[in-house]
Amino acid sequence: MSTPADSAEATESAAKTAESDPPQPPPADLPEKEEKEPAGSSIAFTVTLIVLVVLALFGRRIFTSLFTGDGIRTWATMFVGVTVQALPFLVLGVLLSAALTAFVPASFFAKALPKHPALAVPVASASGVILPGCECASVPVSAALMSRGVTPAAAIAFLLAAPAINPVVLASTAVAFPGQPKVVVARAVTSLAVSMILGWLWLLTGKGGSWFKLPKNRHAEGTRKADVFRESMLHDFLHAGGFLVIGAAAAATLNVVVPREWLDHVASNLLLSVVVLGLLAVLLAICSEADAFVAASLTQFSLTARLAFMVVGPVVDVKLIALQAGTFGPKFAVRFAPATFVIALLSSLVVGWWLL
Amino acid sequence: MVVAVRRNVAGLVVVFVGAAIVQLAISNTYLRYVKPGMRWMLLAAGVILILLAVADVLADTRRKPAQQHDDGQHDDGQHDHEPHTGDDDGHGHHGLPRAAWLLLIPVFALLVVDPPALGADAAQRQSPVAAKPVAPKNQSWLADSAQSDKPVPLAVRDYAIWAVWEKDSMKGRNFQLTGFVTPGKNGSWYVSRIGLTCCVADGTAFMVEARGDQPAPAKNQWVTVTGEWAEPTKRQDGDVAAITITEVRQVTPPTNQYE
Repeated sequence: MSTPADSAEATESAAKTAESDPPQPPPADLPEKEEKEPAGSSIAFTVTLIVLVVLALFGRRIFTSLFTGDGIRTWATMFVGVTVQALPFLVLGVLLSAALTAFVPASFFAKALPKHPALAVPVASASGVILPGCECASVPVSAALMSRGVTPAAAIAFLLAAPAINPVVLASTAVAFPGQPKVVVARAVTSLAVSMILGWLWLLTGKGGSWFKLPKNRHAEGTRKADVFRESMLHDFLHAGGFLVIGAAAAATLNVVVPREWLDHVASNLLLSVVVLGLLAVLLAICSEADAFVAASLTQFSLTARLAFMVVGPVVDVKLIALQAGTFGPKFAVRFAPATFVIALLSSLVVGWWLL
Repeated sequence: MVVAVRRNVAGLVVVFVGAAIVQLAISNTYLRYVKPGMRWMLLAAGVILILLAVADVLADTRRKPAQQHDDGQHDDGQHDHEPHTGDDDGHGHHGLPRAAWLLLIPVFALLVVDPPALGADAAQRQSPVAAKPVAPKNQSWLADSAQSDKPVPLAVRDYAIWAVWEKDSMKGRNFQLTGFVTPGKNGSWYVSRIGLTCCVADGTAFMVEARGDQPAPAKNQWVTVTGEWAEPTKRQDGDVAAITITEVRQVTPPTNQYE
């Protein structure tokens, strides 16, 4: 069987030949750095290459005895599955965010959004309709919005609204709940409300203060647009991708460790079932484009509890928390995720009582 | 002539990840983890990543000569392992963000563990009880079609639900099911399939209890069974579909093991 590394190796060796640099006289003032830099980087490169090639060729033989346990293999399938499912959306997200950073002038956002932050929040929430991706895509995009001068409150509203109210998600919700258009309406209304409430809450509570890491603007004046695009895409992918892996590992672990049967014992109590399905959404970390089908299959629960599942999933889940920690800082994530969770549950209860 | 090879670790990591995704999509291995519809998205994502890495490496080669005169200024960025300090000049990405190394773990898992499609172990973690269908359909085609005795091939997913919730149209009929073997308690076994709505994270087991004299095949063995509808088994938490088996045939697993 041909392994991924085989093709990677071929590409890389081609790239390596192209990489050879012309001779380079070290500048007089920085002799040490100039020697150290290529050496350190080339050790890392060589080690990485060797380790990956060795693994590709002999990995299965070396480790066969280690990874035979059924539980471990189920975990590995879940882990790879969550990563593989999310990666295309992450690539879409970093592609869009790099395009925003490189090609859309900052003045565009200044014109498009109302001057007052409190008014910019609902406009940003509503414009979440245009990003047809799941939650992994919206994190890098909202980071790019912030770095282009959009007020963080509005970017956060966009971050929360986009994965929940875009046409793909609403259409899949309508398909999952045939003949019940009120579920689609309830989902859109609740998700919009959650995103606006959190945007305004952000304005009220001191705008992050010391614990929010504003994404840096990598748009240097005088750099070619194509370079900015390439570099911010590469950087965002590497950074967010690493945190996606952490999130996928957490989701896989919870999936394997927590038995599903505990769900059945709580279905009858409304409050408890709302909280439990909210928690389930956090730890399953399912793409927002498909979570409606999972919600539809949880037939032992009330519609309100299932609404909570669909509202919480796109705004807080373990892989999203990891992504946010990577993009906006861990201190942000530990405050933001619980706040979002509580507000999402309360909104679902209110809207469920009103509409469902 | 001294050739200083500028080596781009970031590019290497991205190429490996991209190649792994492309390989998954081409080889049908992706069907173990996600739905068939994801194939083109995976291919596109993998190709974009490879192109990105190649473009970055090429740009490196091009940029280097032009920079020779002001290398001192740019050097800080290139040493940097913390992506958020000092990369304003846009050249800071060669210091790989530390989190990026984690991207190699799924590639490692693919290469070394070669995770199989979810099977009996995942099914055993779930309850075999058939969930009530969202919108019960009257399987009128079942009543109309095949008045002959020929067994009707059905998806395990459909049988597991209909045998409990659509009893009337199933009674006295023969069916053919294909799935893997999940051992139960006291020597019983189930013909089972995992259903996906999105990816393996939401994999739901559909299980049909196999009754009859046949000894239980090995765990995870794929079988095609033929048999007659049987009264569901009552359990504390609900009913489990059952089938009285007349024939068990061992088969090779289908390309897409999910339903």
